[in-house]
Amino acid sequence: MSQARLLGEVLRERGVSRRAFLKYAGYMASLMALPPSAAGAMAEGLAKARRQAVIWLSFQECTGCIESLTRSFSPSLEDLIFDFISLDYQHALQAASGEAAEEARRQSMRENKGKYIVIVDGSVPMGDGGVYSTVAGHTNQAILAETIADAAAVVAVGTCAAFGGLPEADPNPTGAVPISQLVGDKPLINIPGCPPMPQAMAGTLLHILSFGKLPELDHLHRPRAFFGENIHDRCYRRPFYERGLFAKAFDDEGAREGWCLYELGCKGPVTYNACASLKWNGGVSFPIQSGHGCIGCSEPRFWDRGGLYRALPTGTSDVRKVIGIAAVAGVALGAGAAALARRRSAATRDAAAAPPAKTPSPQE
Amino acid sequence: MDTLSPGAGPIDAPAAAVLREVVARLQRLAREPDFSDAIDLHSLPLGESGREQLRQRLGQGEVDCALQVAGATRICETAYAGAWWVRHADADDRTQHEQIVIARVPALLLAHSDDIGDAARRLAEELAAPACQEIS
Repeated sequence: MSQARLLGEVLRERGVSRRAFLKYAGYMASLMALPPSAAGAMAEGLAKARRQAVIWLSFQECTGCIESLTRSFSPSLEDLIFDFISLDYQHALQAASGEAAEEARRQSMRENKGKYIVIVDGSVPMGDGGVYSTVAGHTNQAILAETIADAAAVVAVGTCAAFGGLPEADPNPTGAVPISQLVGDKPLINIPGCPPMPQAMAGTLLHILSFGKLPELDHLHRPRAFFGENIHDRCYRRPFYERGLFAKAFDDEGAREGWCLYELGCKGPVTYNACASLKWNGGVSFPIQSGHGCIGCSEPRFWDRGGLYRALPTGTSDVRKVIGIAAVAGVALGAGAAALARRRSAATRDAAAAPPAKTPSPQE
Repeated sequence: MDTLSPGAGPIDAPAAAVLREVVARLQRLAREPDFSDAIDLHSLPLGESGREQLRQRLGQGEVDCALQVAGATRICETAYAGAWWVRHADADDRTQHEQIVIARVPALLLAHSDDIGDAARRLAEELAAPACQEIS
């Protein structure tokens, strides 16, 4: 459960000095593209914060999101995030089960009323009264409504929670919907990805803890620090794209030479995420570096966009034409995403007030 | 390629730009002793070769510190006083984060006043405990 004492005091008793706060804040400031000078303020804010109560709800999901957060980090700097939060309820990690587990959730809600954060992974089935996914005899929709009633903010992690993901893919047999359709006017952050990058999840929580407010978000409620650039712009294969050098098959000369994977269906030009810059598994690699195109997993409806291996709609006979069409495709898909966001955001007060094309200001 | 100074060998343009930034900040540190700033090397389009060029050019100074704080950290003063190379590594000694810090002493080396206050209290309590009474 969360504690009334300051994080700086609590962790000092466990041998964690303020140097550790500063080091962690410096690392995260770097990942979030904050100026290095922000690390000091972030560390001070963190040390003066209370341990953040977090309730993690898992609905129609595969457990990949929590695996991403817990398994990707080396047991040193990066797992400090688990000292800064009190994870009061999480199916895969908690020792309690059955009624004891549900009581732990309710106790955290009572003790941290108005202050706790709800993290959700997985979409919510709305078809046939929500019977396709239940926990302790209650539908996901009912549990979500009960849990977020007194929450300070909701964080939808993974593409299933953020945009519906695989459960929502055509023909969507369970009537799956993203969390954004069910949170009303609660502050919402989407951290999509299949799975999402662990740095994005930890960095977002750290930002809230250190500065007491949500990070700057884009029109799809994604933190700009991690979703502000597309994969294509940060891809190390980009020079091959500019020169019109494309792999045509996964085992051809172009593939072996590391040429651009655009014609093999890479969705990098229309996908916003930090994979190309932060990379996975401790910065080792990311899908394109391993020879596979980006599948666009952090974008809405990525599964129904016409096939993971189908190239974005263009040919490559004229590279200038390719670039031009790609740019148009990016605009068109971006507009589609914006329209989707508009429809979803219509149910929420704050997003309805912010047109998708407009840069939103940081939320308090 | 851009040559920073005669006889110093060639250096890539991005690395040269970082060195010029270091110069400007060192000049400010010379005027303002409390000034402190950092250049985050992993947010720049340097690559490993660019960072290695910087390491070689800045060299090794008089101070070399190893910290064990949430993983290993090494803080070395470069051959240019006031410019420090800071490297954080993970358990497998892979670099997680690197900075060039411009300061008289990097903030990470300084003990925080809250930690000092706690240290004073703990030591006083230990001295007051019966087991620590002075032998008369």
